[in-house]
Amino acid sequence: MKESILSKRSSKLPSTLCALAMLAFGASSAQADFTMVIPQKPGGGTSVWAQIVAKELSKKLGESITLRHIAGARDIPGFNEFQNELQFDDDIMMVSHGGNGVSFLQEKVDYDYSNYSSIGMMNLTIVLGKWRDMEKISFAAGSGNVPDGIALALLTCGPDKSVEAYKQCFDEEVLWVNGMSSGERRLAFLRKELTVTRENPAAYKKHVQPLIEEGNVETWFTHGLLDKDSGNHVDDPNFPGLQFEKVFERTWGVAPSGELYDAYKLVKSYRDALQKAIWVRKGNPNTERLRRAMTEMINDPESTKVFHEKVGKYEWIVGDDGDKVVAILKGLTTRNSLTTLIEWNRSVFGLDSVFKESLVN
Amino acid sequence: MAEYLLWMIAGSIYGVIIGIVPAVGATTGLLAIFSFISYFDSTPYLGVVFCMAAVAGSTTCDTYSSILLGIPGANSAAASIVDGYPLSRQGRAIYALSAAIFTSTLSGVFWGCLVFLFLPYYSQIVLYFGVPELWALTILALVSVSLLVSRHKIRSVLAILLGLFIGSIGTDPVTASSRFTFGWFYLADGVQLVPLVAGLFAVPELIEGIRRKNNLFIPSDSYRNQTRDGLKAVWHNRWLAMRGGAIGAIIGALPGLGGAIADWLSYSHAVAANRGEQFGHGNIKGVIGPEGANNAQKATSMIPTVLFGIPGAPFAAVLMGLFSYLNIEMGSIYLLEDREFFAAMAFGFLAASVLVMFICLFINRYLELLTAIPFKYYSMVVFAIIVWACVQYTGGWEDYAMLAIASVLGMLCKHYRFSRPSLLVAYILSYKVETLSLQTYTLYSATDVIQRPGFLVISAITLFLLYYGVTRNERIDFV
Repeated sequence: MKESILSKRSSKLPSTLCALAMLAFGASSAQADFTMVIPQKPGGGTSVWAQIVAKELSKKLGESITLRHIAGARDIPGFNEFQNELQFDDDIMMVSHGGNGVSFLQEKVDYDYSNYSSIGMMNLTIVLGKWRDMEKISFAAGSGNVPDGIALALLTCGPDKSVEAYKQCFDEEVLWVNGMSSGERRLAFLRKELTVTRENPAAYKKHVQPLIEEGNVETWFTHGLLDKDSGNHVDDPNFPGLQFEKVFERTWGVAPSGELYDAYKLVKSYRDALQKAIWVRKGNPNTERLRRAMTEMINDPESTKVFHEKVGKYEWIVGDDGDKVVAILKGLTTRNSLTTLIEWNRSVFGLDSVFKESLVN
Repeated sequence: MAEYLLWMIAGSIYGVIIGIVPAVGATTGLLAIFSFISYFDSTPYLGVVFCMAAVAGSTTCDTYSSILLGIPGANSAAASIVDGYPLSRQGRAIYALSAAIFTSTLSGVFWGCLVFLFLPYYSQIVLYFGVPELWALTILALVSVSLLVSRHKIRSVLAILLGLFIGSIGTDPVTASSRFTFGWFYLADGVQLVPLVAGLFAVPELIEGIRRKNNLFIPSDSYRNQTRDGLKAVWHNRWLAMRGGAIGAIIGALPGLGGAIADWLSYSHAVAANRGEQFGHGNIKGVIGPEGANNAQKATSMIPTVLFGIPGAPFAAVLMGLFSYLNIEMGSIYLLEDREFFAAMAFGFLAASVLVMFICLFINRYLELLTAIPFKYYSMVVFAIIVWACVQYTGGWEDYAMLAIASVLGMLCKHYRFSRPSLLVAYILSYKVETLSLQTYTLYSATDVIQRPGFLVISAITLFLLYYGVTRNERIDFV
């Protein structure tokens, strides 16, 4: 909110000698070989991830990588600026996250994944935990939480319902609580005002795992991981047996299906498969060099150790395979699934979502 | 530890410099830190130490220009002018300064210890403050700031409404779409804090400082004797200093208040408690009272700021922004488990309070000479730093335009007596008022809410302040 202040910021300025430091920064900036554009302010999850990647990748490239933060408005302006201007600089890479994927699917944005080549991406999942003594679901709203909200509707209301029936059931069974930041959400979950919470795996370990160990909270489900070969979702090895589809089948005895489930699969794929990704413009002459360096990085045990410690044990998808993921996402975007998603967003979540004809496969 | 010490010293010196510059208080000083806060990206706790030391240093030293030049060193040091400046005109500036510095330090350390050393243990309180209590607190802050800071009640309420509107510009929390941006994409992420604060407070005060005629500087005689007399005066009036500190502490702990009101209330208390004595002509009690409140208020302002993410005063709002940049989110449960953060905050504030006292005592006589430099010379440097901080958002013309718009707004508010603190606090709380209202409505029924003791207590305080504010004609008029 108000605190999201500085975006196109410089790097370091020694406090006591501002002017001199600014000159020094100018010099160091000019020496940078590559730049990673991050659509959020320093300290955010994607920013921290990009910092780690930049450090490890620059070792393999033998060239420096600086981070440039263009924050604001739910991380959309930075990506838009890449699309409209920065992508034409061959030394600039774009770092995006799952929220950008959801915004691309359901909002007016300038950026378009089909214009870019994937350098590397990390396919993550989101984990949901709940209080064991939960009486009614209360969950933090937000456009990035759309897949979670639809999953709650499916899991709570059961199989074989029309979209209208799901809407009615969701209104009765789920309190969709607007306007909570991640910090407020965690606090509200501790106070049991929210009975269900969601986190990425690293944050889940940090914030929810202690409550699980106390015996008061349990992991409910994860969204699973998109398999780049089959195009289906598979179990997250970090949370075995807790993939949404498996939990649904255990709860209701049948696999999930129907229009709303298709919309769910679509939106969760855009969010989770593109959870952390690095892009350059199609035709960028540095593409192959960057991909090679990325491959070296993920095969380096030391770099792998760093990622496992700080992010979790998640698979990297490098180069053409990343472009394949984008193709899978395009294939999932049918007129029906996108229409259902947009209508659901508008009527149930109150979001100002937009149907984009250009996305339909 | 050596790094902590180094940055505490650096922050203290920065705070001292900021403090002695007329019209540049902790808020403006913190604002300028935005231009180099990225230096602490990888060492955020050193940034916390630096910022807290800067707060302590500037709060203690903003007395200089109030006493020596009759220009408020900061909004919160304005009350010290009334009796401090006449003392300076009598050639007793060092006496007044020493008394002010000793009082500020003692009060800052005492209340700082109570706040910072025990703040982690207050964390359980957070779990008792649910969404309805937080909503009630934000309303309390708005009522407090609108009715107690200015005698122009209607204009304060209008300033609140304007602040709420400005705060609502950006993204709708429900629909996630832009609102009130008038097609200007620059506003998609809302009006930024830095240019708004700079425009509302720093620029109008700088302009007023330039317009004000420089006063004749009269150096003090007998530095040593006056320092000793200042210390004695604090000892003789220790209970007045303590009461001033308590007033400052209470005001500081109320979210959204702080600033000048604590000092003026303490000054009023000093006058009321010493009936028959003449004030306004160089009574040292008129310096000790408000100076007691000054640093205590800064310390306790951190309680609502840290525990609830609700700024206790304008400086705390800027501090929240700085800490947010360092990925330290006020009011988050994660922060409450972060002992290193609390240690950094306590060390920065407490150690700097003590260090600044020694620095001041050592260089009092030289600072006295420094502040004799005409304001117009260094005001340009201060202005340049502020502009630099404001144009870090995009670096484009829009940043300059936003600063210009906010500056015009600030000058209009100052001229027409619309409360700027009210406007700022409402702007900061706007998003919280909206989202907490939505959350309370979603999660609780009216019956649930009125059965919550915390909500009822805060609501009762709010109603009392509302009654007090409406029925009393305030003599304080800070706009």
